[in-house]
Amino acid sequence: MIIKDLILSRWIYPLLKNEKVTGFFAFMLIGSGLFAQSGIPELMPVTQTYVLQNVQIVVRPGQIISGGTVIIQDGLIQAAGKDIAIPAHARKIKADSMFVYAGFIEGLSQSGIPRPESAAGASGPRTPGGQGQQRPRVSDPWNPTYEESGITPYVRVRDVFKSDDKSLEEMRKLGFTAAQVYPIGRMLPGQASLVSLGIGKNADELLLKENTALVASFSPASGAFPSTIIGVMSRFRELYKNAIRLQDYQKSYGSNPVNVNRPMADKCLESFFPVLDGKIPFIFQAPDMKSVYRVQALKNELKFAVHYADVKEGYYVGDLLKSEGKPIIISLDLPKAADEKKPVADSSKNAAPKDLEMEALKARTAEELKRLEGQAAKLAALGLPFSFSTVGVKSTDIKETLRRMIKAGLTEDQALAALTTTPAAQLGVSNRFGTVEKGRAANLVVSDKSYFDEKSSVRYVFIDGKIFEYEGKPAPKAGANASAGGKTAEAPKVAGKWSYTIKAPGMNTEGILTFKGSGSDLTGEWTSSQVPGTNPISNISVEGNKLSFTSNISMGARQINLDFNLSVDGNSLSGTVGVGTFGTFDVSGAKIDGQ
Amino acid sequence: MFKILNIFNLLFLVSFAQAQVTKGSLLIKNGTILTVTKGNMENADLLVENGKITKMGKGLVAPAGTQTIDATGKFIMPGIIDAHSHIGIDVVNEASRPSTADVWVGDALDPLDLSVYRALAGGVTSSHAMHGSANAVGGECETIKHRYGTLNPEEMRMEGAPRTIKFALGENPMRVHGEGNRIVPATRMGVEQVFRKGFEDAKAYMAAWDLYEKEKVKNPAALKPVYNKRHETMAEILKGNIIIHCHSYRSDEILMLLNVCKDYQIKRLVFQHTNEGFKVAPELAAYGAMASVFADWWAYKFEVYYSTAYNAAILTKNGVVTSINSDSEEYIRHLYHEAAKTQRYGSLSDEEALALITINPAKQLGIDQRVGSLEIGKDADIAIFDGHPLSIYAVPQYTIVDGVVRFNRSKDAADQRLQASATRAETGFFLHKEQHNHDRCLEGAFENTATFFGLERE
Repeated sequence: MIIKDLILSRWIYPLLKNEKVTGFFAFMLIGSGLFAQSGIPELMPVTQTYVLQNVQIVVRPGQIISGGTVIIQDGLIQAAGKDIAIPAHARKIKADSMFVYAGFIEGLSQSGIPRPESAAGASGPRTPGGQGQQRPRVSDPWNPTYEESGITPYVRVRDVFKSDDKSLEEMRKLGFTAAQVYPIGRMLPGQASLVSLGIGKNADELLLKENTALVASFSPASGAFPSTIIGVMSRFRELYKNAIRLQDYQKSYGSNPVNVNRPMADKCLESFFPVLDGKIPFIFQAPDMKSVYRVQALKNELKFAVHYADVKEGYYVGDLLKSEGKPIIISLDLPKAADEKKPVADSSKNAAPKDLEMEALKARTAEELKRLEGQAAKLAALGLPFSFSTVGVKSTDIKETLRRMIKAGLTEDQALAALTTTPAAQLGVSNRFGTVEKGRAANLVVSDKSYFDEKSSVRYVFIDGKIFEYEGKPAPKAGANASAGGKTAEAPKVAGKWSYTIKAPGMNTEGILTFKGSGSDLTGEWTSSQVPGTNPISNISVEGNKLSFTSNISMGARQINLDFNLSVDGNSLSGTVGVGTFGTFDVSGAKIDGQ
Repeated sequence: MFKILNIFNLLFLVSFAQAQVTKGSLLIKNGTILTVTKGNMENADLLVENGKITKMGKGLVAPAGTQTIDATGKFIMPGIIDAHSHIGIDVVNEASRPSTADVWVGDALDPLDLSVYRALAGGVTSSHAMHGSANAVGGECETIKHRYGTLNPEEMRMEGAPRTIKFALGENPMRVHGEGNRIVPATRMGVEQVFRKGFEDAKAYMAAWDLYEKEKVKNPAALKPVYNKRHETMAEILKGNIIIHCHSYRSDEILMLLNVCKDYQIKRLVFQHTNEGFKVAPELAAYGAMASVFADWWAYKFEVYYSTAYNAAILTKNGVVTSINSDSEEYIRHLYHEAAKTQRYGSLSDEEALALITINPAKQLGIDQRVGSLEIGKDADIAIFDGHPLSIYAVPQYTIVDGVVRFNRSKDAADQRLQASATRAETGFFLHKEQHNHDRCLEGAFENTATFFGLERE
C-alpha cells in the first residue's frame, strides 16, 4: 500500500509544479467517488499541508491581520498570524493579498436533504373528479398516524442526508462549509444536526454534531389532523404535555416497576425528552410576525427553550425577539423588488392621467420591501445576534441578498458574524468553528476581494483542511459587452403559443404558454391541465436565449409563486420552474404556432 | 403618504406594549345617548376614563387635556356586537375530523385583517370570531375586540370573555365527513351521535382524572391519564364553562340538540342562523336557549329553504334572547340596517331592534356585564352616528373601543392596511373578496390541496 502510494506520488509530483494541474488533481483526488467507482483505490492528497501567504486574515468580525500567513495541516488550522515559519512540505496556495475568513455556517438549511420522490404512504389513492373526492384519505381521520399528521420528530438527519446532493457544492462555492440541516417535513419534521459541507461517502462522515435541535413549524398536514395552524397549535401542546407525562412515567417505572403497568414506548414523544431535559432547544420556524407571536404564546405556556427561525418580518417584532434573549435565525429569502416598468407613455402626448392610487400603493409596497431588507440591520442595531437560514433560498441569490442587507444598514462585520461566530455559538461549537485561529477546524473561505464586495469571487474553500478551488470571475471578453447595440445573439422570438410539460414526481402537467408583443412590452399568460382558467404572467425577461418569468396560483388561502427559468432554442424551450417551496421541476416545450 | 406613514409609526408604538390593552379617556359632548337598556338621554355628555364609562349626564367636565368629541346632533350608542363572524382570524375550519373540540381559532388571530377596520367603520366594536361549520363539533371560538392598529394578536382578545365553541347541525358536517370521508356522520342522526359520543368520552375522561387526583393523595407516583385536549374541552362544556354556539337551520335538528343538552344538563346554548327558529320559539324560550339570526337571508341551500324575515321578531316576542349577526365581512359593516329590518318585518321598537345588535349578542357571548349598553362602569365601546342608527341615512362617524377612537370617519385614510405586500402593489379593496360569499362558515373545508402538480401529497 505504501509502495503504491509512493509510486503514485512520484507520478503526480512533477505535475504539482504546475499550479493549475495541481488544483485539478487535488480536486480529483478528493472527489474520490469517481476513483472508487472505477475500481481505483481512493488516494490521499499528496500533502495535507497548505499555506496561504500575505493574506488578510479576518480572524473574527472586526479583527483583521494584514499580510498574515495561515497554515493548514491535517484538517486543522496549524497557525494563523504573522511571522510564521512555513513547513517545507506545505503546498503554497496562490492567494496573495486575498481575504481569508472562517468557513460560513448555515444557521438553518436543507442542504443535502433531497425532496421526497413522490407521495409516499401519507395518503391513499386519489380519484380524479370533483373537489371533495380529491382530498387525500387518511387511514382513520380520528387517529391519523404520526406520519400522516406530519409529526416525525424522530427522523434524524443521518437517515435522510445525501452526501452527494448537488446542493452541497452549490453552498460550498459560496463559502459555506457547515450547515445546521433538518429533514424535510411538516409540523415536526425531525431533528436538526450540524453537518459539514465537505466530501463524504455518507452522512456519518459529514456529521459534526448530532441532534442540535428539534425543528417545529406551523406547516399543517395534508388531509389529516392537524390540517391548519390551529390544529398544529393544539397538537403541539398535547404532544408536549404527553411527552412530560411519558418521561415521568418511565422514570418512576424505572425506579420501581413492581405492581405498575409498563409504559409504552413512543418514538415521537421520546424525541421530546432532550428538549424537556434542557439539552436542546426547539428551532421554531416563524417567518412572519404573526408566527413569531404564536411561537411566543406556545413558549410562554409550555416553557421550552426556543430559537426563532426563518424570521423575515423581524422588523416589526424586534423588541419582542430581543426580549426573548436567545439568538435567532433570520431568513435569507428576500423578495425582489417588483419590476418597475418604464413609464407607460410620455406625458407630452395626451397620456392617461396618473393613477394616483396606484402610485400610493407602489410607494407603500416599496416601503414594505425596505422593511424586509432592513430587518437584519434593525435586529443588529438592537444587539440581537442572529444567523442566516437558507431554507427556500436559491443559492445563486445569496450574495446579492447579503449585499442588499448591507445596503440597508447591516455592517459587513455584522453580516460576517451572522455567517460565522453567531451560528457557531448558537450551535455550541465556537471552539471548533467560526474563527480563523490555531487549533480550529480548517474551514476557511478565501475571497479575492472583501467577500461582500460586488466584484469579489470565492477562490478557495477549505473544509476539514481539504481544498476546493474556484475560478475567479471571468474578465469581460473584449467586445462582448460593447455590442449593447444588439449585434450579439439574436433575441429569440418568444411571442406566440407554446405547449409545455412540467415534470413533477408522479405527475406531468401540461398546458399552453402564450406571449404577445416583444421586447419590454412582452406580455403573457398560461393555462394548465391542473388549474382552471388562464393565469397572467409577470416579470418577463428575455436575455440572450434566456426567458424567465413568474406567475402565481392560489390554492385556497395560499399563494404559490412560480418562477420559470427557460432557454429558448428556435422552436423549443427547456428549463426549470420553481414552485413555491415545493422544489424545482424540469420544463420542456415547443412552439405550436408561428408569428 | 407621509400622513399614512405617521399613522403607522404611531400604530407600532401601540403594538409594542405586549398584550397590554390600550385604554383611553375622552369626553363626548351634547349628543343623544341611546343606552339601549335604560332609555335615551337628550343633549347629554358621556365621560370615559381609562377605558370605562364613568359618567353620563349634562354639563360634564373632563380633566384638562382630555380628548373631546362634539356630538351635537349626533347619536351615541353602544358599540355594535356581532355574535357570528369570521373576521380577524387566519383559520376558520379545521375540517379534518367530525369533532375538533381540541382546536381554538384564538390560536390564529389575525390583527392585520382589514375586515376588522371595515367592521369598525360600521360601528362594530366586538365580534365573535367563530370556527366554521365543517364538523359537528368545531373548535373553540374567540370573542375579539376590534382594536385595529395593534400588531399583537393577544391584544385582540376580549380579555375575560367566556369560552365558546362551535357546533354544527345538518348538511355541512354530513357533506364534509359522511360524503367526503365516508365516516359518521353521513346523516342527521349521525350528527347527533357525534355529540353524544363526544360527551360520553368526556365523562369517562373526567372520571379518569378525578380518580387520578384522588390516587395522587395516597400515592405521589400515581399514573396520570394521557392528556387529550378534545375530551378536556368537551368536559369543560359539561361543567358549564363553555357556551355552545350551534350552526343550525331546521327546527327538528334544533329540538334534537335541545334534547342532547337536556340529557347532559348543559344550560348555556346559543343557536346560530336558526332559520326555522320561529317554529320552535316557545321551546327555545322555555329552555333558555338563545338565537342569533340573519335579518332576511335564506334559501341559499336546501336545508335553509324555509325561513322568514319575521324570524327575529317572532323569537323576540316569544322571549328568546335574539341577536342579528353578519357571518360576513360585508354585512358586518351595516348590522344597524339589518336590525332596522325588524321594524319593517315585525314592528319591533327602537330599543328592541337595537338590542338585537348590542345587549342581546353580549348576553349570548356572556359579556353583557361589560359591553352591549351604555351604563356607568361598562367598557367604553361606543359608536357615534350622525343620525339615528336605525335610519337608512345614518352614517357612523366615530367608533370607540376601550375609550380609544379606532375609527374616525373624518380621518379615514385611503390605505388602512397595517402591513402591505412587499412585492405586489395591490389595492386593499379586493382583499378577502373571495370570502364575501354566503358560506364562509365552510371556508377551508374543501380547500383542495391536492390538485396542483400533486405536490401537496408528499
